[in-house]
Amino acid sequence: MWINMGPQHPMTHGLWNLRVRIDGELILDVDPEMGYLHRGIEKISEDRHYNEIITLMDRTCYVAGMAWETLFVLGAEQALHVTPPERAEWIRVLSEEIQRLGSHIMWYAAFVQDLGLMSPFLYGMRDRDLLLDLLQSYTGARMTYEYNRVGGVRNDLPSGFTDRARKVCDWLEDRFREYDALCLGSAIFHKRCDGLGVLKAADCVRLGVTGPMLRSAGVKRDLRKDRPYSAYDRVDFDVAVAEGGDVTGRYLVRMEEMRQSVRIVRQALDWLDRNPGPCLAENLPRWLGAPYAPVGREGYLLRRNYPKGLGFSAIEEPHGEALAYVVNEGVEHPYRVKLKSPIFVNLSAAKEYLVGYRVADIPPIMGSVDICVGEVDR
Amino acid sequence: MSPPETEAERSNSSVLWVAKPLATAARQFVKSLWRPSTIVYPFERLEDPKFRTEVRVAAGKPIGVGAVWDNYRGVHALNIDTCISCNLCAFSCPDLCIDMVTVPGGDPKHPKKCPQIDYGKCSYCGFCSDACPEGCLTMTTRYELSVTKRAEMVYAPERLHEVYKTKLPMSPIRVERPQNEDSILLDAPLCIGCNACARDCPTKCITMLDIPKPAAKPGEKIPKRIWKEPVVNDSDCVRCGTCISVCPKECLFWGTHR
Repeated sequence: MWINMGPQHPMTHGLWNLRVRIDGELILDVDPEMGYLHRGIEKISEDRHYNEIITLMDRTCYVAGMAWETLFVLGAEQALHVTPPERAEWIRVLSEEIQRLGSHIMWYAAFVQDLGLMSPFLYGMRDRDLLLDLLQSYTGARMTYEYNRVGGVRNDLPSGFTDRARKVCDWLEDRFREYDALCLGSAIFHKRCDGLGVLKAADCVRLGVTGPMLRSAGVKRDLRKDRPYSAYDRVDFDVAVAEGGDVTGRYLVRMEEMRQSVRIVRQALDWLDRNPGPCLAENLPRWLGAPYAPVGREGYLLRRNYPKGLGFSAIEEPHGEALAYVVNEGVEHPYRVKLKSPIFVNLSAAKEYLVGYRVADIPPIMGSVDICVGEVDR
Repeated sequence: MSPPETEAERSNSSVLWVAKPLATAARQFVKSLWRPSTIVYPFERLEDPKFRTEVRVAAGKPIGVGAVWDNYRGVHALNIDTCISCNLCAFSCPDLCIDMVTVPGGDPKHPKKCPQIDYGKCSYCGFCSDACPEGCLTMTTRYELSVTKRAEMVYAPERLHEVYKTKLPMSPIRVERPQNEDSILLDAPLCIGCNACARDCPTKCITMLDIPKPAAKPGEKIPKRIWKEPVVNDSDCVRCGTCISVCPKECLFWGTHR
């Protein structure tokens, strides 16, 4: 019998449909259906000015907007032959790690709620708010930041920011211990999650599954280490790896990643304290300069030939490896923008890690994938 | 804390293993009685000075994440008096939610136009306030926008000016103008001296200068035109491009002086 879990289902965390063929409680086959949230971001990008596309990238993934902004901006900088100042790169590292913490805590809250635990959900949402406050204090918004610019970032950190961020880091490390006490310290959690939704390393590699799911299977692969971007080559951190590739393994990987993120945030704060400087590149073309961000639409005649270029960027987004490809044909909007979403791949592999388990196991397994449908459908 | 290795070990200690998380939750509960993590909106607001300067409280320990509202991008404030009608905010809007509408107090022939913002479309990206060369369009910390009719979401310039008069904290970010900006250049042979650019320039930085009328050569017709040419004062120019868009002959363009 085929049943539809979705598009409106508490398990889905968004708008997608998981069709499941069952025999009693046993899952025989699954068929994930995505596309309910397709907004055509890639196509819209083709007639938008480079800096305007940043507003779209925030909405690509609504829990990790900063990561997608950075992804696109890195690609666009390569296509437009612009080099950001070093301080902007470090601010990007800082923002991205704060965003990773926020995204993982959001995942934690949603995941434990799938297991039926209400208190950790509230704790998670409460703690994420501090990170959103941090982001808001220098970007100006809680979720749709519009902070990165081609050639740097919009503004510098406000005074006193680094002290506040350090306090939050201290406080968060306490919270991670509490999370572990609530989950790993609970027999119920282990009975619910251990050995569930196993995806072996070889299968991960064969299917292109990336991110915490890949690392939970024991593969040490992290683009921040393997293909450093921004200032990640100057940051000291460890890649979180777990064994087993099951739900508990994904939990352990994300928890360890959060601890490493705090470590990176501290290093970035130290660097930013020591090295003041400009955070937006000088010598930007006029139409990329911040005050006149998007002049160039609506019948403006730009009788100039800007250098053409191709941009390719790959970042370790909180959910996995995200790639962007930007084609610059010498006008003020890109010819083509292609985004690769990690969750799309991770979800498409659902058959491999769901078949053989019970229907009641679907919420914890899919919860451990960390789904953000805005990013899947773009 | 390491999880127990075997199934037997786990089931033996399961009472403790359930009790431990409960104890953690109970500790949080007791702490939250003294220091709640929430505020009593709308009687308290996060942008209140007491939250700005000091504390966000989160179960047990006060955290000084104050001043989160300094750069907040909320409803716009418009100072009509200093607005020069340059149109840059409307051009920079990715959602096309800004319309330039006529406000009283301008020259009757060329009325003064100020931005009218449709908050049904606005995405609060802040590009308009970044683009404003005079700093008269800024974003404030106001965020309560509920209305009962859709038409009320459209804020006329006068209403934005009222927001300005409330003196809410405004986004202080002023992006510096890049050093190597392009200038308005003239493709002189195409110009007909029609004065459209100088007439519509919001900063009045374009002057029409007389140019000599060439002497007629035999067999050649002198083109019919006004013998004037625009000269742009680069230091006053805000690079809004109005002159380019009004030029009937498309003889003005962006470029750099050699």
